[in-house]
Amino acid sequence: MKKGLKVWLLVSLVIILGISMFGCSQPAETPAAEEPSSEPAAPAESSEPIRIGFFAPVTGAAASDGKSATQSAELAVKLINDGGGINGRPVELVKYDDGLDTKQAVNIAQKLTTKDNVVAVVSGSYSGPTRVAAPIFQEAGMPMLSAYAIHPDVTGSGDFVFSQSFSGSVQGRAGGVVAVDMLGAKRISILAVDIDFGKTLSEAFTAYAEANGAEIVSMDTFGMPETEFSPVLTKIKETVKPDLLYIACYPSHGTEIARQSKRLGLDVQILGTEGIDSYQFLEVAKEDAEGVIITTNMNRDSESDAVKNYIAGYKAAYNMQPDMVGASTYDAFETLFKVIAEVGTDPVAMRDAIKGLKDFETVTGRLIEYAPSRVAVKPVQIQIVKDGEFHYYNEITDDAIIRD
Amino acid sequence: MLLQQIINGFMIGCVYALTAMGGTLIYGILRILDIANAAAYVVGAYLGWVIYATTGNLAVAFFLSMALTGAIGVLIQKFIYTPILNKPNIIPIVPLITSVGIFIFTGDFIRLLVGPEIKDFGVILPFSVIKLGRIVINPEWILIIIMTAILLSLLWFVLNKTKLGLAWRATAGDSEIAETMGVNIQKVMALSYIMGYGFASAAGMMIGVLYSSIYPTMGDIPSYKMLAIIVLGGLGNPIGTIAAGLVIGLSETLISAYVGSVIPRDAIAFLVLITILLVKPTGLISRKNSI
Repeated sequence: MKKGLKVWLLVSLVIILGISMFGCSQPAETPAAEEPSSEPAAPAESSEPIRIGFFAPVTGAAASDGKSATQSAELAVKLINDGGGINGRPVELVKYDDGLDTKQAVNIAQKLTTKDNVVAVVSGSYSGPTRVAAPIFQEAGMPMLSAYAIHPDVTGSGDFVFSQSFSGSVQGRAGGVVAVDMLGAKRISILAVDIDFGKTLSEAFTAYAEANGAEIVSMDTFGMPETEFSPVLTKIKETVKPDLLYIACYPSHGTEIARQSKRLGLDVQILGTEGIDSYQFLEVAKEDAEGVIITTNMNRDSESDAVKNYIAGYKAAYNMQPDMVGASTYDAFETLFKVIAEVGTDPVAMRDAIKGLKDFETVTGRLIEYAPSRVAVKPVQIQIVKDGEFHYYNEITDDAIIRD
Repeated sequence: MLLQQIINGFMIGCVYALTAMGGTLIYGILRILDIANAAAYVVGAYLGWVIYATTGNLAVAFFLSMALTGAIGVLIQKFIYTPILNKPNIIPIVPLITSVGIFIFTGDFIRLLVGPEIKDFGVILPFSVIKLGRIVINPEWILIIIMTAILLSLLWFVLNKTKLGLAWRATAGDSEIAETMGVNIQKVMALSYIMGYGFASAAGMMIGVLYSSIYPTMGDIPSYKMLAIIVLGGLGNPIGTIAAGLVIGLSETLISAYVGSVIPRDAIAFLVLITILLVKPTGLISRKNSI
């Protein structure tokens, strides 16, 4: 009897493990078996589904961003299919989880370019996985749109790779404009997460701030899993005494920096980035988030239908607030849908059509055009936390700032 | 500033000591480095969050979460570790890998169950920030100090004043001799897991309250930093673990405050570990000196 119980437990454990492993690391939507002779550049009159590849960090340290991105991708696909697809053809999402792992991203890129019969790809991941995957799509001549990865190397991979968001250098520079020109900061402390994201932003921020008369009085970096900031905040409060604190990091860091600086009595204006453009930051930091200003790409107070529809649609579908990551992913799909509707699925035609886009209204603002570096040129939104929500504070449209 | 940083470091050290205590209690008896203790830390935090949200009582949340996580620990010990350890000629790496497996499984299981987002723990404490001149003491820190004191006294009492504790110490000293003297090893192992996972659960909850946030990957850093503290504390020695937690908490804080972020804070723990082990290879307090 006892042995029977053990065997039963073991079997059920193996089953549970098996299910969860498949749930986590395999493509959630297993690509259908080889489709007979469905060429990527199928003629527009065919009713074959248009397959679009997608990857995001659904597991691992960035899992909540992965979830936002995946949900927005699914929403975009659902909405286009509800409306009859693109020129009568339904869209099919082929999605993968990269686990924020560069090795995994390479495998995914290989699969997408060789096996999955997709016509284009959207990266809903961070700079790390996106920049190793990008050259593989370039090599295969397959258009790839990065939703929100900000490292310049992503689009540096070649002419098939586009970034739907402005680059980290644009956003860092915009942060400098907010700090120095709008808020008049003279002595600035920086706290940045020690990965591509924090580095790219803080370097561009520093360059602008120093060139425009401010002084960077302290610069500290920390690892991705860090949550304890009282040592460094005590140092900043007691010996550095800045008049602005620039934080290039994610919600888990942002909430703790906001909470712990309030507790320690460090009374300083905090300027964040799109990294903390998330309901998670607002929910956990609560009143400590009040007055925090961020640079981002989505204007919550926008009157545009695109923004209103997206926010309402997302809330209705998932019963949660959308964020910058989701909005950017959604826009990447909208961009591809528009291009495919116009020129079909020939990769070169798609690439040229993306290059030629002008003044396209998206959820993350008006896409003015793609710069020669294939990075989207859009206004940078400045939002401020008021009564527990992000609201319009300002907008940067100056060409010198928003172009690389 | 120095005094404030010492207080900061002391608090961080208390949390480390509690987190590593679970692993120490298990190593003391089973001689396995139980990475799955970090899983108990995550499970405890989530259970505590759920119980607090339903009952609104923090003490009940702490107690129930510790009891439930301890019970899960006993199940894991009975149905996973004991069968593995009873296999003939088992190499020590097998239980270690098993514990890594349990840890990864738990993190992903919670993610699928509750979602990957940061959840707000949402505890409002009855005391506010205390200011003594320039020194600031957070309300959560007071809670941590009180809880650490209660838990450590409880541990001291169980280990030193009860028969089961005597059996635990005897087994930690030499399990074979203890067994021939009539100690029920299975019972002692169960005690180790109840206390070990219970401590980890309390530590997870405290971190949840301290940072007001819990998320499925919150056990990632504790999973390896715990090892540094257990080893530095002399492997399986509860008092050594407290000392090691405080040493690492203080050195991390002081180095990151005065030297700056040349080395990441987490690397400092291992730097301290290597430096101390070079001078004193048995750890801060070796097992021989009893508990």
